[in-house]
Amino acid sequence: MKIVRMALIALYFAVATLPLAWLVITSIKHRDDVISTDARVVPGVEFRPTLRAYAELNEPVKGKNHSFLHFLLNSALIALASTLASVALGTSCAYGFSRFRIAGARDWLFFILSTRFLPPLAVVVPVLLMFREFDLTNTRLGLILLYTSFNLSLSVWLMKGFIDEIPRAYEEAALVDGYSRMQAFARIIVPQAAGGMAVTAVFCLISAWNELGFAMTLNNDDAAKTVPPYFQGMIGKIEGLPWPQIAAGALLYVVPIVVFTVLVRKHLLRGMTFGTIKA
Amino acid sequence: MLKYGFVGPALLLLIALNIFPLGYNIWLSFTNYDLSGGDVKSVGTRNYREVFNEPRYAAAIRTTALFVAAAVLIELVLGYALALALRGEFLGKGFVLTVLLVPMMLSPAVMGLFWHLIFKGDYGIFNQTLGAAGLPEPQWLTDPGLKLAACVIVDVWMWTPFMMLISLAALNSIPRHIYEAAEIDRAGAWTVFRRITLPLSAPLLLLAVLLRTTDALKQFDYVMVLTGPNDAATQTLSALLYQTSFGSFRVGLGTAYGFVVLVAVIAVATLFTRYLDRLQRSR
Repeated sequence: MKIVRMALIALYFAVATLPLAWLVITSIKHRDDVISTDARVVPGVEFRPTLRAYAELNEPVKGKNHSFLHFLLNSALIALASTLASVALGTSCAYGFSRFRIAGARDWLFFILSTRFLPPLAVVVPVLLMFREFDLTNTRLGLILLYTSFNLSLSVWLMKGFIDEIPRAYEEAALVDGYSRMQAFARIIVPQAAGGMAVTAVFCLISAWNELGFAMTLNNDDAAKTVPPYFQGMIGKIEGLPWPQIAAGALLYVVPIVVFTVLVRKHLLRGMTFGTIKA
Repeated sequence: MLKYGFVGPALLLLIALNIFPLGYNIWLSFTNYDLSGGDVKSVGTRNYREVFNEPRYAAAIRTTALFVAAAVLIELVLGYALALALRGEFLGKGFVLTVLLVPMMLSPAVMGLFWHLIFKGDYGIFNQTLGAAGLPEPQWLTDPGLKLAACVIVDVWMWTPFMMLISLAALNSIPRHIYEAAEIDRAGAWTVFRRITLPLSAPLLLLAVLLRTTDALKQFDYVMVLTGPNDAATQTLSALLYQTSFGSFRVGLGTAYGFVVLVAVIAVATLFTRYLDRLQRSR
């Protein structure tokens, strides 16, 4: 029995990591080694490894005015700013729902959760028309606002779970000592909830970093475009793509996410089930 | 009043960027609005009649249903089997588990583009591996009969870890003493699985299935990056929605269609939130 189990794990592990391993291998190849009909796997033996693809990342691919780094910078700025905003708003909102009696609190919370299930494509047209009205299309601010609101559901639900776990006695003692509600929130709750805020931030960051639907429909030029729509735009000319460069870019794009996954691995389940399962 | 200061800003932003667009969307769906310009006027229920009479929509519903059913079922079975295999301790378990979880965190659009290279008919590593195992090497992304299967394969690669993760939590939550009692009763391995393991992990498995289903219904990213939005073989609801509003610029029709999709997603999401509510109360 044990052998069957280990074999299943080993087999799945090999298959699941193959695309990632291939990404690494492709990124250190010359283009000819990528499109050869025999698979060249072992660097140094079957092909000559090179870091040229990484050096070329600051050169625009044919037909583009911007290099990969421009899109990477947009992704980073938009993901970071929207994450800060959704964690701040989400923490304050979660605190309100956790500590005060608010009429219809349960309904509000489920309303917040339900916004997570809106398919982006079902609301993107009105958002586009609104953004045109306020000159927010093709701007980073537009996507920051949108991702902030999109991630609020996750942020409120996760933070409510974390804040519910902080004993009320702490702030009550502070209130008796003459702290105002705001001071108690800022000096007692926020430090206590800092770990939870970090976990929440990672999940918000990842979903903003990976988002495609809004990013491709609200940007018709490259000024504020992030990496996912930039990559999606390449499928029209798939045959001539500089694959080593694509692989190098994709690798740079996913490495931070792998690091974050390792950092929050104990909280993954909590993050992906809106705080329902705390194991 | 202070309490509204805490909850207010978040709710206002949600209303401005979620609820208002939804209302606006409903209004647009009764007009002939066109992204390429022209006078906007009311057309009554014409868009909705077109949605329900157009064969492409029926086809998109079938494609989506097939995609969701195939992907979620394979992910459930594979993820649960992996979780069963991962039960108990072994050397390097933490490392293996963490690596297995990585795909679900990655960008579907970015990895999807790279899957083109993996799927290449002649020199792709996927077919080379199949060939080495003595299996046929089909043209995944050019054969119309296989394009949807290719999307399912990528989805399975990405989301099986999620099923595995919830399954592990479900298995870990089964109290040890129940197994000890079964051992005293000399229950066979199959009986233990069918009478104890499976029923006791079922509630969390259902949660996982509902969560994955609502997500898979919205599937857009791989379709956009593997075949583009206007491929009959893989045109899911979201892809057709995109094509109608941004490919043919027929926003009135697109929004009517979006509203119909929304009602379907809300139905599944309501099941999910009700179930979540029940699980939370029972814990």
